[in-house]
Amino acid sequence: MLRDQFPGLNIQVHGKPLVYLDNAATAQRPQAVIDAVNDYYLNHNANIHRGVHSLSESATELYEQARVSLAKLINAPSHKDLIFVRGCTEGVNLVAQTFVRNRVKAGDEILISHLEHHSNIVPWQLVCEQTGAKLKVIPMNEQGELVLDDLDQLLNEKTRFMAVGHVSNALGTINPVKKLIQAAHDKGVPVLIDGAQAMPHLKVDVQDLDCDFYTVSGHKMYGPTGSGVLYGKAEHLNAMPPYHGGGEMISKVTFDSTVYNAVPAKFEAGTPNIAGGIGLGAAAEFMMKAGLDNITQRDHELRIYAEQKLNEVSGLRVFGTAKEKAPVFSFVIDGIHAHDIGTIIDHYGVAIRTGHHCTMPIFQFFGVAGSCRASFAFYNTEQEVDVLVESLHKAKAMFT
Amino acid sequence: MSELNKLYKKTILEHNRNPRNYGIPENWTHHAEGLNAVCGDMVNVYLTIKDDVLQHVNYSGESCAISMASASMMTELSEGLTLADWFERFEMFKLLMSKDAAEDLHYETLGPVNNLVTVKKFPSRIKSATLCWYAMAAAIKGEPTATTE
Ligand SMILES: Cc1ncc(COP(=O)(O)O)c(C=O)c1O
Repeated sequence: MLRDQFPGLNIQVHGKPLVYLDNAATAQRPQAVIDAVNDYYLNHNANIHRGVHSLSESATELYEQARVSLAKLINAPSHKDLIFVRGCTEGVNLVAQTFVRNRVKAGDEILISHLEHHSNIVPWQLVCEQTGAKLKVIPMNEQGELVLDDLDQLLNEKTRFMAVGHVSNALGTINPVKKLIQAAHDKGVPVLIDGAQAMPHLKVDVQDLDCDFYTVSGHKMYGPTGSGVLYGKAEHLNAMPPYHGGGEMISKVTFDSTVYNAVPAKFEAGTPNIAGGIGLGAAAEFMMKAGLDNITQRDHELRIYAEQKLNEVSGLRVFGTAKEKAPVFSFVIDGIHAHDIGTIIDHYGVAIRTGHHCTMPIFQFFGVAGSCRASFAFYNTEQEVDVLVESLHKAKAMFT
Repeated sequence: MSELNKLYKKTILEHNRNPRNYGIPENWTHHAEGLNAVCGDMVNVYLTIKDDVLQHVNYSGESCAISMASASMMTELSEGLTLADWFERFEMFKLLMSKDAAEDLHYETLGPVNNLVTVKKFPSRIKSATLCWYAMAAAIKGEPTATTE
């Protein structure tokens, strides 16, 4: 069973088996990822792209092989279109500062959506502050779906860039990104897709989507923390200035001038998270072996089951009922604050997240401060859904 | 009694259900807002201070049971105290909530507030209990906001 390959799931919390339903915050990692990280430190520990010695060469090979695996996973035209970054946050900031910032001026517009994570809002607000550009927002409806009725006006002659999440971390909504990208391209607007929450659930094909940039967070797709990649179309990456200056991103330095290295090295200043990158490559291989279709199918089964069971709990209200959604459930229960629910069910081994989930505007829309969020991965089980529901009943009993 | 039942004692649940001195009063002399940036909790404290005596203490906000009960008990404890006496109790409360303090630490003068002693065993929840106290200290000092971060 795939689940057996995740040793982090086999622990006890307060004497109860862990029921890990906080996958949208960070996923558990398969043994293959842990082994890849260990193997680097044990058998290949050296800096990369530097030495002529064998150890450095084998470390470099592992790191570059990881890039190839990730390119395959998202069907990038070339592994050279992938830049290793710390995670989605860094990917978005990199694009904001090196691609978008010098294309916008006062009065121009950058378009995002109401469903964005703070990491796909704040970097654009910074660019707006720096340039005088305006942030525009695609609205959402009660179901937690984007409303595209006015897209034609939102994408106008002032729009310089669009940045939209593929899957909402707070509500699970799967956005129609292909359609959005097409609409933006029709107006000549380049697009970044924040893929943090799509990667663990969906088959992503950046060529089919035709996005200009796609950000991947390693720790959400069963890889190490502090790892991730940014995919960008080669024509953009080649034209963009570097993000950070330092070693590795140069081909020649004198005190008068510096010649930058070629992409992707141009964007990879300094010693990177080598073990993290190698581990992320192992995560990509793991997912391809497990089969994205199997993962999506399992997600669907869990979603249907959890939806039904949660709806049976009286006084429970689920936010986000989009037709297309990942197995992520944001909910509140009448008369019990989310933090109290989180603390109580933790004592039954159930790990969920409570609060605003870095998406304050979504909860402002619903008029609440936050919610409980149970987010599933393919390795979760129907039985775990039952434990969640039982623990919610315990919380309710305690408060009545 | 399980740890959970000790945390959510009857007194605490009762204060959560029927918070005392809850709501924005018509008049006040001092006010501050307490913000917990991590979880989004917010509490507002409104004071009427005359001749260094806390005549009225009210609060508003929407937050978890621990935070609601803590604020409710704090307002009851505080009314009628001099500022000096209040700060003395604030110091005791901080010790009550400190992770290194004895499990059964008890301060007679804190009265029902002692019911919160178990919170310190739930590190992620300590700020729920302390936010209102820091907000009240800020209000007394004339500062507009207190944050727990
Ligand atoms: C939708 C979304 N975007 C971006 C991020 C940030 O990703 P990272 O942790 O890799 O920086 C997250 C993670 O919380 C997320 O859920």
